Amino acid sequence: MKVNNGRRLQGAAAAVCVGALLVAVPLADVAGTTINDIAVIGHNSAASEPAGELLYATNCGGCHQADGGGVPMMQPQLIGAPRANDSKGGVIDMILFGSNAIEPGTSEFSNEMPSLSQLSDKEIALIVSYVRTHFENNGGPVTADDVSKRRTQ
Amino acid sequence: MIKNIFFSVLFLISASASAAPSLTGVDANTAVDPETGIRLPAGFKATVFADDVGRLRHIVVADNGWLYGALARRKEGMGAVAIYDPDGDGKSNERIYFAKGIQGTGMGIYDGYLYFSTDVSVLRWKLPERGAPEGIPELIAYGFNEERQHAAKSFALDGMGSLYVNVGAPSNACMKEMRKKGSPGMRPCPILKNYGGIWKFDASKQDQDQMKDGLLFATGIRNAMAIDWNPHANSLYITPHGRDSLLELFPELYTAEQSAELPAEELHKVSEGADMGWPYSYYDQFKKERMVMPEYGGDGETVATEGQQPIAAFPGHWAPNDMLFARKATMPAEYHTGAFIGFHGSWNRAPLPQQGYRIAYVPMDSAGNVTGDWVTFADGFAGVDVIKSPRDAKHRPMGLAEGADGALYVSSLMSGGRVWKITYEGK
Repeated sequence: MKVNNGRRLQGAAAAVCVGALLVAVPLADVAGTTINDIAVIGHNSAASEPAGELLYATNCGGCHQADGGGVPMMQPQLIGAPRANDSKGGVIDMILFGSNAIEPGTSEFSNEMPSLSQLSDKEIALIVSYVRTHFENNGGPVTADDVSKRRTQ
Repeated sequence: MIKNIFFSVLFLISASASAAPSLTGVDANTAVDPETGIRLPAGFKATVFADDVGRLRHIVVADNGWLYGALARRKEGMGAVAIYDPDGDGKSNERIYFAKGIQGTGMGIYDGYLYFSTDVSVLRWKLPERGAPEGIPELIAYGFNEERQHAAKSFALDGMGSLYVNVGAPSNACMKEMRKKGSPGMRPCPILKNYGGIWKFDASKQDQDQMKDGLLFATGIRNAMAIDWNPHANSLYITPHGRDSLLELFPELYTAEQSAELPAEELHKVSEGADMGWPYSYYDQFKKERMVMPEYGGDGETVATEGQQPIAAFPGHWAPNDMLFARKATMPAEYHTGAFIGFHGSWNRAPLPQQGYRIAYVPMDSAGNVTGDWVTFADGFAGVDVIKSPRDAKHRPMGLAEGADGALYVSSLMSGGRVWKITYEGK
């Protein structure tokens, strides 16, 4: 799934333009990043934040929105979300297993989340780190190794 | 991208501008009424009928003026509310919650009964002389599986003894793995057997099971929250929710702009046996053709053979949540036989701003044919000009109902829940 796709990046760059996010790097740098680049960027790299933001916009922002605000009654907001401030596995499991990570009948939201397990451990780590360090969350970053452990559990 | 947005704006403007001269909808140059937060065409007036009602869904008004609303979430343990305005100033003074321990979406009146739907049943109480119904309701239809996605059982009553229930598909495009990128669509789509259609029941008979006693009246419908019987043309009409996420699932086929506009929200006249095409096809309002769904091999360019043509189309993801044909003929003549459609407003147009959040009106003749382009009948609900995220919207239209005097009532489940009453006051 590591496709260097121009359109996909345009879409993500557009999200940056209209989103409410404060971007700490010039937009040109984000638009110039490719999915292939992201796949080899570690979360400790200086470029991890824009890479995480780009991956978030492409894979998550459509439902959870660019501002992490979600959709009332349909998709939960990620702003100040308990999972993004708790143990490392919470957000990782949501991405790996989707709604199956939640005990049936306990969600108050009507939409179901798909598994995004087709993404690489590194890509998932970038997204999870982005979510856990943005949207008023302070859970802190995770590594590809953390994702790998949850995947094989 | 800027060019595409420009074209979309042009498309919207032209859709309004070319309507019949007498039907212009809201004037974009007028201001939103600060008291009610909404904007209406010249000659119409609104009041806030009720505020802080709860998570209101569909509403209905009895001949004596009592309004009944279904709640998506219980308030004070109750899933429905009765509201009344004894002095007739457009602002209610009485409110009674009822339907203990249940919640739901649909509300309707027929033959002296108040009908209410939960996600798994349609119930009815004897319509009281005033206030809330009492006692244990009769079970009319049941057997609908409990689901999370598209579970609301919106319904229509034809006034002649039949009940039409929307059974939404718990799915986006009937993919093998739900909303999973790269997962193919299933053919035949197995869930069409007991979902994704309209089931017809006897409105007066108790204990009807969906699969044993209900008739699969029409199919190929993802989720028709907006459903009403057109009493002028004697036919069922629906405006289903179109599929989501073309950009996320098929970035190689759709741009962000195309994914925001496509597929169109489709208005259909529904006869027995009709097929609206989901999940095999969707309607492209620019090409004016049904296209093959990408999960079924479509590429955005291949014309589909499955599914009937809609009679009107709206921009993608606007989320039509209710539809109403006026019956009382108290508004100007052009509003007597067409369809009011309440758009809850989009969430799936990102990265572009969200849209919809209005009531549209589709002009029709008494035979149910569309006679001109749709117009915006009421807007301003969201309270902001640019809606980046749905939670920024103060209100989102949900249910529509007509009072005995011909007033139009509109519900919203946001910001505590509100009902507006809209009347025609003349020029």
